[in-house]
Amino acid sequence: MESDLNTIRTVLKENRSELLARSNVVAIGIGYKIIKGAKTPTLSIVCSVSKKFPASSLSARDMVPATVNNIPTDVVETGPIRALQSHTAKYRPAPGGVSIGHRDITAGTLGCLVRKSGQIFILSNNHVLANSNEASPGDPILQPGPYDGGKYPDDHIANLEEFVPILFDEQASDCSLTRGLASLFNGMARIFGSEDRLKAVRTRAAENKVDAAIARPLNDQDVRAEILEIGAIQGLAQGELGMAIKKSGRTTGLTTGEIQQVDVTVNVQYGAGRIARFSDQLLAGAMSQGGDSGSTVLDNGNKLVGLLFAGSDNTTIINRIENVFSGLGLSL
Amino acid sequence: MNRVYLVILILCLLSCQLHGEERGVSPTIQEVKAKHAERLMAMPGVVLVGIGKNPDGQFVIIVGLDGPRPKTVEQIPEILEGYPVRVEITGPVKAR
Repeated sequence: MESDLNTIRTVLKENRSELLARSNVVAIGIGYKIIKGAKTPTLSIVCSVSKKFPASSLSARDMVPATVNNIPTDVVETGPIRALQSHTAKYRPAPGGVSIGHRDITAGTLGCLVRKSGQIFILSNNHVLANSNEASPGDPILQPGPYDGGKYPDDHIANLEEFVPILFDEQASDCSLTRGLASLFNGMARIFGSEDRLKAVRTRAAENKVDAAIARPLNDQDVRAEILEIGAIQGLAQGELGMAIKKSGRTTGLTTGEIQQVDVTVNVQYGAGRIARFSDQLLAGAMSQGGDSGSTVLDNGNKLVGLLFAGSDNTTIINRIENVFSGLGLSL
Repeated sequence: MNRVYLVILILCLLSCQLHGEERGVSPTIQEVKAKHAERLMAMPGVVLVGIGKNPDGQFVIIVGLDGPRPKTVEQIPEILEGYPVRVEITGPVKAR
């Protein structure tokens, strides 16, 4: 068996270029010969073709021989073989799921197209399109993002329109003063009862619901209302515990997961010690990496459920799409 | 002086508990989570509080930690107003 394979390998090596020279042959490899749909124990040289033609219509030069050096061949129709779709390349029109970013950031993901007052906009995160509150409306947005080689003005695709400001927690979480203040607040809350405790919550930590921003394409023909590897969006849906979800992002491409937690309150780090608290978030398992921020999250029916913006080694944190749409006054 | 505060605190806690029992309605898990989230988030190493399900389908309050935090784990109750609490190590959560 082992020697058979090695013999075939040698034959394959010697005849590879000659076989690939035939028109329609797109790949050559070793595999079990399939006869009438059933796998046989016979090893063969498999020639993948873009399209099978009847022998009568092929010239002798393009015909795959029945055997090569006594090794049987098998012809399989695979269609043309393309490179897997890159998420970091330049796209015009640009779909959802590809690299994008404000010119002062690295790169994030273009979520999808949305509408506001009848116009088309690109949806992504504040920290992707608006550099975490640092940007100004009108700033250039590049596709691909700067980390992926996007340059101004060649890759300028849109201008920042609007963002929901992220409210950062002024107090560092590991500060003992903060902890002391927090426990003092809690003690007071206990003393004064539950209503007053709610007041203490409001004054202490600013809570965010979304990390979202929109950008206006320079030209509507430069963007596409589809998501790479997913397709067209089929409406909106509310994220629920146990729901199967997927996303298409710049770094990890198409990944799937499940909503494991709802009503999540979470502290999110934004670089250099800045922390922002978010509430009413959805949580899924590991289905993202840095650069996937801004990906839209969809259910199995391609309905929009959320906007991905953060995560840890084993979690992914997602804004509810209803909060994103209401926060920016958007529709599909 | 401290003892006076302690007595007031205990009296208030008792009255709050009585008040809750008087209402006689068991709160939803969302209400319980909302009520306790701030206190849990203030504990060292707690990065998130959410609502999930156990493998048997039972709703649980989940507390996520940035790493192993034995002292914090000791402070987290196993049950909050009738709902089980599960502690998980999620690691620090970062914007992506």
